[in-house]
Amino acid sequence: MRKVWQSDWFGPFAITLLAIVIVGVANPSFLSPFNIQILLLAISVNAMIAFSQMIIIAIGQMNLSVGAIGGLAAISFGGMMEVWGIPWPIAAILALMIGLLAGIANGAFVAFTGISAFVITLASLSVFKGINLGITEAQPFYKVPETVKALGNETFLHPLPWLVIPAVLVAVLLWYMLFRLPLGRNILAVGGNTHAAELSGISVPQIVTVAHAISGFLAALAGIMLVGRLQLGQPTIGDDWLILSFAAPVIGGAILTGGKVSVAGTFLGVAIVAIITQVLVLFNIDPFLVQVVLGGLILWAVGMNRWREVRAERQAVAAGT
Amino acid sequence: MSETAFTAKNITKTFPGVTALEDVALTLQHGSIHALLGENGAGKSTLIKVMTGVYRPDSGAMVLAGEPFEPHNTRDAIAKGIGVVHQERNLIPRFSIAENIFLEELSPHPLRHIDYPKLYRDARRWLEMLDIDAQPATPVDQLSVAKMQLVEIAKALSLNSRILLLDEPTASLTPHETDTLFAILRRLRDEGVSLIFVSHKLEEVQEICDQVTVLRDGRNACESRPLEDLDRQSIVRLMIGRSEQIPDWSSRDRTSEALALELDDVSTKLGHENIDLKVHEGEIVGLYGLVGAGRSELAKAILGKYEITGGALKLGGEPVQIRDVADAVGRYRIGYVSEDRKSEGLVLIHSVLENVGMTVWQRLVQGIGFLGRKKIRRHTEPFIRKLDVRTPSLEQSVGNLSGGNQQKVSVAKWLAAEVRILIVDEPSVGIDIKTKAYLHQLIRDLSNNGTALILITSDMPEMIALADRIVVMNDYRLKGEITNTRVYKDMSERIMELIQDETSPMSGARSAE
Amino acid sequence: MSLMVSPDRADEGAGAARDTGEAPERELGPNAPLRFLLSNEFGLIILIILFAVIFSTLSPAFLSKFSLYALGRNAAVNIMIGFSMMVVIITGGLNLSVGSIGVTSAMFGGWLMQALGVPWVLGLLGGLAMGAALGAINGVIIVRSGLHSFIITLATMSIFFGVMIFLTQAESYREISPTLAGFGRLKILSVLSPLLVTSVVVGIALSVLFRFTALGREMLASGANPHAAELSGIRVERMISYCHMLSGMLAALAGLMLVSRTGAAIPSMAGQLGQDWLLPAFLGPVLGGTLLTGGRVSVLGTLLGAFLVTMLTSGLLLMQVGAFWVQTYLGLLLLAAVLLDLARRSYLAQRKLV
Repeated sequence: MRKVWQSDWFGPFAITLLAIVIVGVANPSFLSPFNIQILLLAISVNAMIAFSQMIIIAIGQMNLSVGAIGGLAAISFGGMMEVWGIPWPIAAILALMIGLLAGIANGAFVAFTGISAFVITLASLSVFKGINLGITEAQPFYKVPETVKALGNETFLHPLPWLVIPAVLVAVLLWYMLFRLPLGRNILAVGGNTHAAELSGISVPQIVTVAHAISGFLAALAGIMLVGRLQLGQPTIGDDWLILSFAAPVIGGAILTGGKVSVAGTFLGVAIVAIITQVLVLFNIDPFLVQVVLGGLILWAVGMNRWREVRAERQAVAAGT
Repeated sequence: MSETAFTAKNITKTFPGVTALEDVALTLQHGSIHALLGENGAGKSTLIKVMTGVYRPDSGAMVLAGEPFEPHNTRDAIAKGIGVVHQERNLIPRFSIAENIFLEELSPHPLRHIDYPKLYRDARRWLEMLDIDAQPATPVDQLSVAKMQLVEIAKALSLNSRILLLDEPTASLTPHETDTLFAILRRLRDEGVSLIFVSHKLEEVQEICDQVTVLRDGRNACESRPLEDLDRQSIVRLMIGRSEQIPDWSSRDRTSEALALELDDVSTKLGHENIDLKVHEGEIVGLYGLVGAGRSELAKAILGKYEITGGALKLGGEPVQIRDVADAVGRYRIGYVSEDRKSEGLVLIHSVLENVGMTVWQRLVQGIGFLGRKKIRRHTEPFIRKLDVRTPSLEQSVGNLSGGNQQKVSVAKWLAAEVRILIVDEPSVGIDIKTKAYLHQLIRDLSNNGTALILITSDMPEMIALADRIVVMNDYRLKGEITNTRVYKDMSERIMELIQDETSPMSGARSAE
Repeated sequence: MSLMVSPDRADEGAGAARDTGEAPERELGPNAPLRFLLSNEFGLIILIILFAVIFSTLSPAFLSKFSLYALGRNAAVNIMIGFSMMVVIITGGLNLSVGSIGVTSAMFGGWLMQALGVPWVLGLLGGLAMGAALGAINGVIIVRSGLHSFIITLATMSIFFGVMIFLTQAESYREISPTLAGFGRLKILSVLSPLLVTSVVVGIALSVLFRFTALGREMLASGANPHAAELSGIRVERMISYCHMLSGMLAALAGLMLVSRTGAAIPSMAGQLGQDWLLPAFLGPVLGGTLLTGGRVSVLGTLLGAFLVTMLTSGLLLMQVGAFWVQTYLGLLLLAAVLLDLARRSYLAQRKLV
């Protein structure tokens, strides 16, 4: 039982539960099926964004280009359907490939030049965003097929929207990979102690590239999902992803130096952010303050994580296990 | 079955301007614990790096389990059978013991499900074999250092290592943990495992090893000799090439001088307790102890980096509260030559001038003001010259200098700061003989000019040559104090006695273990 | 998380066992003039001249008086943004909130001038003070928490911007002091913008700081090796806070310069959360040779780098590349710059010229 208490997701879970209860009591419309649907739509997309950053945090790096990749994939998706008339499943797959390739490019550069992920993804963010703008000239693609729009907004089992399916699927797959498959363990090993991982025969360049590839893929998936949700191939998709992509994993207990992430924690972090955002709207608080709240949440979360680390260290030393 | 577990012959390794190893040999028998000894700078670490694939030797050959052994890199060396347990831990902190041991083979394929119950079962076997009292699923960052080390040994053994190399394994272990480790090592030896034991602790080497190779100045001083043939004196003689010759410095008694520094029943946040220490002006007080005794930590506490939680620190007879290092250096003129000059003593990417001036910039301008190169140079150049730092220019990056010159720079900056109290921590590590002698003379001269010095060193001859009084520390407590008679045999015995003495009144209530 | 280039494995020979106590003089390169020629700064000067020639050949309008004036004026802001990031980079850290601080400070100044009717001098000073205060907040949080500046400034970037947008309700101040707006449109000898002069003057001041004051030297030492600096009696935490404070002030100055140039204080001047400033903030210092690992600085390099980037941007625009593609090229430029810098430094390290 103590293990549950100490696990990463318990804190966020408790907070989420508490928030739902409090808000639900204060404003019953919060718990209406319609509102739950809205919440779940937001959570599904944001979870994908958060996961795309989480996998990079796991190797102890950062990916500034998640938004740019997402945006590029989104307009590619929209553009392929509108301009070339490609059927949406194929366009979706192609857009996902774009994300995958973008991620591989990021990873390969980082792994093989030794230049920090920060600089590489700062550069690539500009390149991808630039390509996005170059193609769209800041104009959205309006012709999105009805199916896509439906998938992006409707429910399959009231009040669960279709978008929940990819989100949950990815969450489960990521969890399984990171905690049951050697590939995922290798990713966490590289983040936990790169030198030790290397000595154990893990190919660090390969792992870095794979992690970035996954990140690019998930970012692209988030972009496609948003096209459905917004019903537009919007070039500005991704512009505001950066903060969120870090906030959720960190609230979920991720350590930025690498080697420790929680899938459930990240998911709950997304939920917390979504609820708070909604609450601000429901209570007529200026939506501009969302940014402040996000920033504050990050500070609080990293502070907490750090404090827990320090305390755990001290306990280990004292116990002399 | 091959006749020896491992052989190295005619190993030579040179770097630009330096011969690290010349014609070195080592033969490791099956079922043996073989000591590899040598002073810092003798070539020990270079040989280890050659054996573990970090360096390729310029010439010579190695044979492992009957096969020629030419590792391309560390990973290759491990794969071919050299198990290494380094001083720094190489574990994945949040992974379990089982995962760490079997990290290379978590499952047959990267995308194949890991069978955790089986992993834990397999790990349990190793835990039992090495007597590790922990659950296989425990994350290693929750273990003590001693247990972590055993996990690494388990890991090395699990990889079917032909030989096991242990680099300073007891550095962070308590005496009890050391005993446990040695029991395990003996058992492994009896089962036929071949071990190389690298240590600077001669007492331990004599306790557990059966053969020894000593390196000195890059060459074999002795090669694979049975330890029972050698007594301590002989080993030491092999390591330093002479029986302890003390330079002709007279004994001095400076205890009648004014007290520069006094620690009165001091305890620190790090765990020191009941530290009583007196250093007079012009005196050199030696602080002897094994690695992990808490000496450097005490030095840093004096320097203001760690908090003093009890007792009084007195300077010139007056109790003072040192707020932080800047206070200690700027106001109270205390200095500290760190044992780790590359990460604590110097800014490698900065120039000689910038490094030497670091301690005095503030003083040269008093707050906000202009401070040109000329002014800094005028103040610091005399000290750079005095120490005979060999550098083509003052603008040279310190990182490009030789070890000896780097050390000189790290000392020069304290001379430039005109400190009244100087703590010198392991000054001769990785330094050539000439610079070492130079630094010794400098320390002696400084004290003759009135500076109070605390000398921290694990180098017994160095300690006995320089110190006027020697204080012995162990486990963050003082064990005793002796005046230096400069008679080596006598002094070294008394010091050893103090260190090993577990019933000394200063150790407090400690059950015999 | 590692923000540094991975350690150069090539120099493991430095741990050699026995050494002769003499500096390997043979290996050292020749004299100062050669070092300068191989230096970053000189390379940048060459590139600037090169591209000036290329652009003016492709489009004679490039060298027109107005074009040069506009170039100088735009460069001035980029240079200042580059300086703002540069002073944090020397501590080995990052300041993602440069844009946020810049906009917030500028809006504060704008508010002072428009809403309170304060004279422009006080408006400017108020803006700078705000920048310093926000920078100080960053510095204190970073130093106290021991957390990495990346995540802290990521959070404060959001917080500062959010508070600013909330307070201003996203409205611009268009009636700021006419003197200030006029300053931005002034022409000296019809080619030089006083904004550019301001940037150069600030650059000179920063150079003086780092080369001729104890404070600047201590900042560099704190960034290069905080342990060694602390044990040498430098108040490292204080130095890092000062760097962040200075960064905030420089960001504020950049924002105020933008206000002067456009004649209005607009909340979106640095993009969402101030993100638009991130790329120029890094391009300048990185091109200019300021190490991301900290401890070394090149003020001239940052200035030249930012100038080169501005020149490339306006050159590309003149060549009808299309404003939308410029960002792509800048991203590629950053990539090329770091790769080249890596190559250059490893070449120099092998020859022990550094």
